[in-house]
Order: sequence, then structure tokens, then C-alpha cells
Amino acid sequence: MIKRMVVGIGLAALAAAQLGAQEGRQQITMPFRDPSMPRKLIVEGGTGSLTIRAYDGQDAIIEYTGREIPGANVRGNRGGRNEPPAGMHRIGGSRGLDITEESNTVKVNSQGIFGGTARDMVIQVPAQTSVNVKTMFGGSMTLENISGDIEAENFNGQVTINNASGSVVAHSMNGKILVSLSKVPPDKSMSFSTFNGDVDVTLPADTKARFKMRTDFGEIYTDFDVKMEANAAPVVEEQKDKNGKSRRRVRVDGTETGTINGGGPEMQFTTFNGRILIHKK
Amino acid sequence: MTCEEAKNRMTDYWSLTLGAAEREDFTAHLASCEACRSDVSRIGALWQGLDLLPLEEPSGQVRERFYEMLGAYRQGLASAEARPVRRWWTMPAWQMAAAAVLLAAGLGIGYGARGNGQPPAEISQLREEVASMRQLVALSLMQQQSASERLKGVSWSYQVEPSDTEVLNALVTTVRHDPNVNVRLAAVDALRPFTGSPVTHLTARNAVVQALPKETSPIVQVALIDFLAELKERNAAPELRRLVSDPDIDVGVRNRAEWALERMQ
Repeated sequence: MIKRMVVGIGLAALAAAQLGAQEGRQQITMPFRDPSMPRKLIVEGGTGSLTIRAYDGQDAIIEYTGREIPGANVRGNRGGRNEPPAGMHRIGGSRGLDITEESNTVKVNSQGIFGGTARDMVIQVPAQTSVNVKTMFGGSMTLENISGDIEAENFNGQVTINNASGSVVAHSMNGKILVSLSKVPPDKSMSFSTFNGDVDVTLPADTKARFKMRTDFGEIYTDFDVKMEANAAPVVEEQKDKNGKSRRRVRVDGTETGTINGGGPEMQFTTFNGRILIHKK
Repeated sequence: MTCEEAKNRMTDYWSLTLGAAEREDFTAHLASCEACRSDVSRIGALWQGLDLLPLEEPSGQVRERFYEMLGAYRQGLASAEARPVRRWWTMPAWQMAAAAVLLAAGLGIGYGARGNGQPPAEISQLREEVASMRQLVALSLMQQQSASERLKGVSWSYQVEPSDTEVLNALVTTVRHDPNVNVRLAAVDALRPFTGSPVTHLTARNAVVQALPKETSPIVQVALIDFLAELKERNAAPELRRLVSDPDIDVGVRNRAEWALERMQ
């Protein structure tokens, strides 16, 4: 029965892809099969910009632009060649776009899809969906109005997360991390980090949290009333200079901690070359 | 299982002492009963919150006062026995006094037991249980699918004894294999307390040395390099030199590796 369902979905996806193709824009609809179970979206790869936003519906709708029809490999399923693994179905070739659904997790794998040319992708999901997105060569990454837990990792581009109300764990190597939370779940740990960009996070005024902040070459700014905790005891070192004379050096560990509104779950802010900005909404 | 039975088992459920079969019954009941499910999540959060409270350390005075009271009680007992005339315990005034002293002693034991002295056996057993619960929570959270939960597990690791090798091993695995950069970053920091324990410091140091060549994320590389410099870990020198001379490595990381090598001289 499951298999029939898979084939059905495959056909639906195929039909949707062909329909979309006529407008120069591909669209694939992939239902989360069990509406009573938690939903999860996993996105891997991609070379263009990526937007994931909540909409008022039950399925995952994947839209992308491209000159060729990457989804054309969907036809590889025709004639029963390459039987899919049990419980899964393939709707893309080895260079194509893979979209699978298993145990209410929709997985979009677009590695290699665009042949080195940047293309944009927009994915719409119900707000209450956990999102896990990771791109290696992507441009900017934007997530909007998601109330599930978010894990986002980008390489070169900025990570923008707007109006989130679940937990956020975000990293970019070279881009900025720009996050605004409309609600902070009371018992979730969060972490925001980048190597070369700013970490810019906006939180509701009544957020209870314990901040752990570290920047090597930037400053830390906030309009929250942060109660700073005493730093770890400074380490005193004896050093010998070139002439053999000993001198003392006092070093303070670079991580600073503080609480807002009496403290709560941990939020970690880390950047190497950028600033840390924590805004009060 | 009825709601009544489920309610009786909630504490066991939270303290993870339910047997496998009972646990299955219990979760099956939760799946079918909205009211119990909401109870479990609501009170469960409180239960977890309780464990986050810092341990109350009573002042030395409390302890002194308790022993004073105990002394007074013994004295009272001795002087009472010295008087053969009437059975003292039949006199209401004595009964009340004894009750009051016993109550005070009970309270005192409660406070005194939490003091700095050698705790009674039951209390240290309770402490061990709490410690092993913390260990369990840290370990199970670090296994979770969600990065946020794993981060929470890493935070919990700060609450176990630095000699806890099981939690250390879980952290080492996280530093090496966790797919999420932020979780690895937090886990590197969480290794720090373990480098201070005679039981675990070697494992912790080696973990940092061995993690560096495998790490690809610059932000975690820098955290590891800083840590190695702080530990003056000479075994890491070859890897640091390799990083310095590798043009594919981020320039910020290369500079930091160079700085760490200088620090180790």
C-alpha cells in the first residue's frame, strides 16, 4: 500500500513539475503524509539563494527557477527502471533534484543540480515544521515565520531568520547571522555563530536567558539590561623574554557571560572577526 | 492503564525508574490521554527546572546550632533520668518539651545534613543518585536529533563531576563527530572543566589534540587552537605547524596557530 502511495505521490510530483515547467519555473508539491506527527524539512546543497517560508497549508511546496528542467529526471521513474528503496521514491537523477518523504520528513537534496549556475529556490511549509538546512556553496539563506526548531548552516552567504518562534541554531562561515525571534521557547538552548560576519539577534524584551558571548576582533553591543557574571579567574603566566628576564602576563578568558530578566536557557553568540549585536524588541 | 495509575507513575517516569513494560504502558496511555499528556509536559518541565536550582549551602551556624540543640536534648535526657521520683515522660510539660526538641532536632538534621561536614549515608546516596541522573540527562540529550537539545546536553555536562568519564567520552564524541558546527563549538568549551581533574585530564587533552586535524570549520579550529595554547600542549605542535603552512586554511586560523606555537615556547 505504501508503495502505491509513493507512486501516487511521484506521479503527482511529476505532474506538478511539468505544469510548473510551462511557466519557466518548476514547482513540486510533496505532502507530509501524517498530519498528526511532527513535520521536518531537511534541505541540503544548492548553489543559489534559498528561501523557506511558512504558509497556510499542509504540504511542502518546492519552487525553483532554472533554464533546464532539473526535475526532468523525474521521468527516470517511468517504466519501472531503478526500483526505489522501500518506502522511498526518487524523483531526480544523479545530477538532479532529490525530494523524498519518509516518516513525515521531507528531504530536498539539490547538490549538483544547477551545474555551477546559481538558481533560486523557495520552499513553503506549514509554520510548525522543524527545518534543518545546510548549504556549502549557497548564496543568502532566508527563513520566515517558522515556529518549529531551526538549524541553519551556510558557507558564504548571510543567514536571515525572520519572525521565528522555535529554537534557532545558526552558523555561517563568511556571512552575517541576522535573526529576529518573536517568541523564545522557555527551555531551548540556542546558538548563533559566524567566522567573518556580524551576529545580529533581536529578542522579545521579556526573554529570560543566559548569554555566552565571544568575539575575537569585534565589540559586543546590546540595549538589554544584561547582568554580567564575573569572568573566569584571570590566568597569570610567567614568561621569559629574549634577554631571559621573566615577566608576568595576565590573561582573561575571552568568553563573557551574563543574564537577562533573571536568566534562563543558554544562548551562545560567537564570531571571530565580527561584532555581536543583541537587540531588544 | 487508567489516569489514576498513570498519575502514580509520573514521578517514576521523570526519574527514569520505570520498567520497560510499565514505561510502554505509560507512554501508550499518554498517547491516548490529552489530560495526562499535558500534566506530564507541564509538571515535567517543573521537575527538570527543580534540578537546575543551585544546591543550597547552609551557613556554618546552622550546623553549630543543630549540635547545640542536640547537646541540650541529651543533657535534658540525662538530668531527667537522674530524677527517680516520677516518671518524667508522663508529665505533659516534658512531653511537649521533648516533642519540641525532637522537632527542632529533625529540622536541624535536615539543614545540618546539607552542610559542609560529612553527610549521612542516605544523603550521600541521594547525592549520588542526583549525580547519576544528571549524567543520564546529559548523556541522553547529547544523543538527540535536534541540535538545540544536544546543546542543552552539552550545558548539562557542566553539572557533572569533572571525573565523570562517561560524560567526558560523550563530549569527546560530540567534538569529533557532531554534524552541527555550533554544537561542536560548545562541546570544545565544555571539555575545559575536565582538564582540571586528575582522572580525566589526559583524555580531555588528547581529545583536543586529536580533534584539530579533523576539524574543518574555522570557528571551531580557533576554539581548539586557543584551548591547546592554554594547555601548552606540545603534542599539538606538528599539527599547528601544518596549519600555519597550509595555504588552503583560513588566514585568521593560520595566524592563530602561529600565535599558539609562540605561546608554547
